[in-house]
Amino acid sequence: MAMVHRSEFLPWLPPMGRKTLFALALAFICFAFAFPVLWLILTSLRPESGVYYVHRGTEFTLGNFAEVLREERIVEAFVNSALIATLATVFSLLVTVSSGYMLSRFTGPASRLWFGTIYVFRCVPYISWVLPLYFVTQSWGIYDTYTGLLLPHVAVHICFFSWLMKGFFDGIDPSMEYAAMIDGCTRWGAFIRVAVPSALPAISALAVLCWLFTWNEFLFALILTGNRVPMITVVMAQFVTEMGLRWNLMAATAVMALVPAFLIALFGQKYVIRGLRI
Amino acid sequence: MAAISLSKLNKHYGSLFHAVKDVDLEIADKEFVALVGPSGCGKSTTLRMIAGLEDITSGDIRIGGKVVNHLPPRDRDVAMVFQNYALYQHMSVYDNLAFGLRNKKTAEAEIKVAIERAAGMLGLHELLQRKPKQLSGGQQQRVALGRCIVRNPQVFLFDEPLSNLDAKLRAQMRIEIKRLHAEIPTTSVFVTHDQVEAMTLGDRVVIMRDGRVQQIGTPLQVYGKPANKFVAGFIGAPAMNFIDVTVRSETAATSVEGEALRLTVGASQARALAAHNGRRVILGVRPEHLVLGDGAPGLGFDARVEVVEQLGSEILLETRVGGASVTAARVPAETVIARDDQVRLWAQAGRLHFFDPETELPISG
Repeated sequence: MAMVHRSEFLPWLPPMGRKTLFALALAFICFAFAFPVLWLILTSLRPESGVYYVHRGTEFTLGNFAEVLREERIVEAFVNSALIATLATVFSLLVTVSSGYMLSRFTGPASRLWFGTIYVFRCVPYISWVLPLYFVTQSWGIYDTYTGLLLPHVAVHICFFSWLMKGFFDGIDPSMEYAAMIDGCTRWGAFIRVAVPSALPAISALAVLCWLFTWNEFLFALILTGNRVPMITVVMAQFVTEMGLRWNLMAATAVMALVPAFLIALFGQKYVIRGLRI
Repeated sequence: MAAISLSKLNKHYGSLFHAVKDVDLEIADKEFVALVGPSGCGKSTTLRMIAGLEDITSGDIRIGGKVVNHLPPRDRDVAMVFQNYALYQHMSVYDNLAFGLRNKKTAEAEIKVAIERAAGMLGLHELLQRKPKQLSGGQQQRVALGRCIVRNPQVFLFDEPLSNLDAKLRAQMRIEIKRLHAEIPTTSVFVTHDQVEAMTLGDRVVIMRDGRVQQIGTPLQVYGKPANKFVAGFIGAPAMNFIDVTVRSETAATSVEGEALRLTVGASQARALAAHNGRRVILGVRPEHLVLGDGAPGLGFDARVEVVEQLGSEILLETRVGGASVTAARVPAETVIARDDQVRLWAQAGRLHFFDPETELPISG
């Protein structure tokens, strides 16, 4: 694709005008993305009576956060979500890294079969997985348990992220592994000692994406859990009751749920960018 | 002792592609052999089979008299330099150099001595703590060479190691490899598609095409007595000129005739060409064996200059002989010559090659 030279973009505008227009467009896009989050934060700071006129109220409170933190179920949901997200990330990376490596480096029948399998699962709409998984977890007796939620997450991550990992390994020169094999390593040794360290930025990026994906996930959490394993995304939705909508509490919970995701994204962005550049 | 012997070596990829066909090659201990040929000729596959990175379909590979067909690369005691350096990016230069020795559980003190020695030979002392990404292409290739040297293997394998370097650096590294081989005489196999590298580095040159060995010989042998038209055209830069001619054997002399060209052939070649009287053969003559001005009688022909390439040290001429035949000549740089000039070129006596157009084998006396 041919690159558009800057002077070819709106050529009738002077350079300063083009720069200003570009800056305004950028500011608008940033604002459009940030606006819902800002609105959410404002809502979380408003008393219950003020959530419908956030834009003109002057009364602010931290009471919503205090009320949310007093709810044992919400605290439990935070712990559960963090635990499931972390475990799902660790377990799925253990498989995804070797699976992506195999897809990238081997072209035998086993690799082709594995590629075909994850391709098929990748094509199945996400929502189509949920009902069969509900029946499977019920029949295995793991419905509404950590295992019942963890296994589907790991399975989905393996299918979705093996592709990404394959792409990362495709970008790493296999000669390094050949050199390691000549230098005294087995194939497995070359993978562990040379390929994996070289792919570390990509693996870190995948870890961040994996964690955020599980933390934000709603559908599995809704269908595959009941009362025993509350998850933050489901608990948040439960502020919609027959008695009405508790917007202020929902917003406070959402802001709190944003914090870990924000921190992970903030500190992990360096790895995500480096990883995605491999 | 680390002679390498390849016998009836074959490599198939599936049922469709036969990459290496019945390769027989004996490489003596401490010999430097260059495998050369165009892309896809099987030279890198052959090297990778020697290294153990590629399974062989049939045949035998012996290193130091021992059959290594089924040995993994780590047990063959070979070291390899790759085209794209293949340095471990997450390690420092020192750790890159130490990697192989640490795998052999060598004591750190010994490793340090070996690295100091290699670093001294290759001028790597100031680079030891850097990461590969902080090095230039030439420096990275020197580190890759150092990684081979420290292990003190039986065999060095080079897979187009100079291809990623610019022309000037390539020439420097060529000298460096030649010097290293003189200092550490180790059996070496060097794969390249560049015939200049093959000719300058190899004690012997192996020319491959479509998976088969075309000729094995010293640089002078493959240049002076090519085994077929392919070798004749591949070795030498610019490439040998090929002109279709017809043999005219007469009582007084034997000559060959092409379009606007008639050359008298020497006695020994005349005897070989007698059997081809009246038939078409391919005349081959190298550009460096064509001269301007005066030459031996019966060896001159007229040509029209089409392109003049001034190289400073010499001029390369692209000329047209008659209607279609295009030939090239190397003439002194001071020659005053321009496009469309009519010149008379003279072939040097005894420097003509003839090939059978069907078999492409040489017709020699």
